[in-house]
Amino acid sequence: MTDLLELLDVRKSYDGHVAVAGVSFSVPAGSIFGLLGPNGAGKTTTIRMILDILAPDSGTVRMFGRSRGEGDLARVGYLPEERGLYRKMTVLDQLLFLAEIRGIRRRPALSLIEPWLERAALAPWAKRRIEELSKGMQQKVQLIGTVLHQPDLLILDEPFSGLDPLNQELFRQLLTEYRDSGRTVVLSTHGMELAERMCDRICLISKGRAVLEGEIAAVKARFGGNAYLMTAEGDLDRLREIPGVDQVAVNGRTARLLLAPETPGADLLARAVGFLRISDFRSEEPSLEQIFLEAVRDEA
Amino acid sequence: MRLDHTLSIAKREYLLRVKGKAFWLSTLGLPILVLAATILPSLLLSMSGATERMVIVDRTGKVAPELKRAATDPEAKSGGPKNPEKKTEIEFLFEAPKPNPAQQEKELDRRVLASEISAWILIDDAALSSGTFSYRARSTSGFVTQSVVERRLARAVQRLRLAEVGVDPARTEELMKGIDLDTVRVSEEGGRREIGLAGAALAYIVFMMLFVAIQVWGQQVMTGILDEKSSRIVEVLVSVVRPFELMLGKLLGIGSVGLTQFAIWILTAAALTAPGVGMAVALLPKDVSLPEIGMGVVLHLIIFFVLGFFVFSSFYAALGAAFNNMQEAQQMAAPLILLLTVPVFLAPKVINDPDSTLSVVLSMVPIFSPLLMTLRLAIRMPPLWQVLLAEILTAGFVFVMVWSCARIYRVGILMYGKKPTFGELARWLRRA
Repeated sequence: MTDLLELLDVRKSYDGHVAVAGVSFSVPAGSIFGLLGPNGAGKTTTIRMILDILAPDSGTVRMFGRSRGEGDLARVGYLPEERGLYRKMTVLDQLLFLAEIRGIRRRPALSLIEPWLERAALAPWAKRRIEELSKGMQQKVQLIGTVLHQPDLLILDEPFSGLDPLNQELFRQLLTEYRDSGRTVVLSTHGMELAERMCDRICLISKGRAVLEGEIAAVKARFGGNAYLMTAEGDLDRLREIPGVDQVAVNGRTARLLLAPETPGADLLARAVGFLRISDFRSEEPSLEQIFLEAVRDEA
Repeated sequence: MRLDHTLSIAKREYLLRVKGKAFWLSTLGLPILVLAATILPSLLLSMSGATERMVIVDRTGKVAPELKRAATDPEAKSGGPKNPEKKTEIEFLFEAPKPNPAQQEKELDRRVLASEISAWILIDDAALSSGTFSYRARSTSGFVTQSVVERRLARAVQRLRLAEVGVDPARTEELMKGIDLDTVRVSEEGGRREIGLAGAALAYIVFMMLFVAIQVWGQQVMTGILDEKSSRIVEVLVSVVRPFELMLGKLLGIGSVGLTQFAIWILTAAALTAPGVGMAVALLPKDVSLPEIGMGVVLHLIIFFVLGFFVFSSFYAALGAAFNNMQEAQQMAAPLILLLTVPVFLAPKVINDPDSTLSVVLSMVPIFSPLLMTLRLAIRMPPLWQVLLAEILTAGFVFVMVWSCARIYRVGILMYGKKPTFGELARWLRRA
């Protein structure tokens, strides 16, 4: 698989504040790539540099197998985190305008827009002004405007924020279909669970640095074998005191545990029986969230 | 630089506004307002119907007959065809002097106070010889009325004086004829008689139109840019369209809206006044002509109108680009409006001597050209190279402004929330 997008040691600082301190990753064609990290990690700045909205201080951005050049951005669709549409325009006019600046004429644009509006249940709203729509509907309009020109690369900054579960599911479906049609999706999110469900590859960013990058399966394999699920009675929080335990997430009678790589699960169990009545203890795949917290902790 | 992007942006700005209610309200509303402002006062005046009644007490018995005679002479009564106050109707009531002057005067004062009459005038020998007449009215601020009364009284007294020194009454009219200035403009093609200062008036009209257009539509450029920033659509736009294309598109689109509005106004006004103007021109004496305006001059006037709009709108665009909200931007808009009026103060110098070195130099300065070159064009066609140079310089200035705005904009859009300092703006200009 060829890499559709490649970042090589990209850096950016604003007036002394380092926003991105050297990020490299590559996105294979036909995949969904997740740019993960907490708020303020540098995801949006990274995305803006990909889109040439900001110029990096150093490093290069390669797109479609070459240095990003004139006309490449026409093949990209971008959904910024801060959503915005012309409030006074109708849904249809808005979409026609977004198509027009991408060089699609009115007639073909109309035939592209129609099925999308149907799909997103927005057809009855086509002639209404944006300001009359609910926030969720506006987000759908904006997503349609982003994919209308069928870009080869779709870049979405926090696409799921503010969506209700129904629309989240719709977005997830649309993006998966988009990937399956051979195109590439890059999305940023701090929602690890969603990323885990849909991304093929991820890059974890923390404090402007890429701390982890690769296929989800490979990333998990690296941490695999050291994540456990325990069901027990007693003070589960005391598990934190055991040396070699990196993370504990208690939920009622269960605890998800992540151990340091060199710590065997049996050691933990041997100590835990001292203060807990354990009914179940099993090895499980670590969640992205656990991996993320672990990676960030290591970084610090 | 992609022209299709700029045109798409311009088209959106244009259609959105022309389709909107506000555009038609202002397009139709302003002429109605202007019409109302010009017609209403005279309408009110004629409705108040105020024929002002004034009592003349002529103790000399010599002036009253002259005044009466003048009242039957239509020219004298209205004060001549050029009299701008012809709306004021004044009726003289002649009252014979009573044996008890003090009582008559008291009675007349009472009638003034009771609003039965507006004023009364005493004519006696002392007044006649000194030339100062007592005019007693409740209000002495009606200068229009007073000047009419003064003129009519003066004519009557002048006739009387002429008659007294033995001038044949038949010749009086001829002797008292007023004079008019006959203005002839001297140019290389020889003398040409025309209505004075009409050229300068034309230029002022063009500039006033420009001023209105900038106030209304230049502000729109600013609000449009601020709206895009606050609605955050801008980030999608700049990922597709270059800020320069975006800025230029906005200026072109909103500028076209302004031009459309003016075209509607001018065409409507032309259609409504064409018969009247045609008649007026036909009635002018043969050797008097209106300032002659060639097609070339009209073309340049239009070019300067458009350039002028772009020059000042680009300042508004800069404000929109640099600031985050209307409040901040409006604060800076006030000095901008001052800047706009600077050429108005320079205009008299140019009108007096349109081809002096000062006039030529001033009319080349981009922010002054739209008014000053327009003035020079309207007064007499300057050398073509000067006109073209001014156009090129102004267009170049607009280009630089748009380019600078685009740079400020590009950085400014992503740094919201904070009001930039001038130092920061300068830094934004240097880096992209």
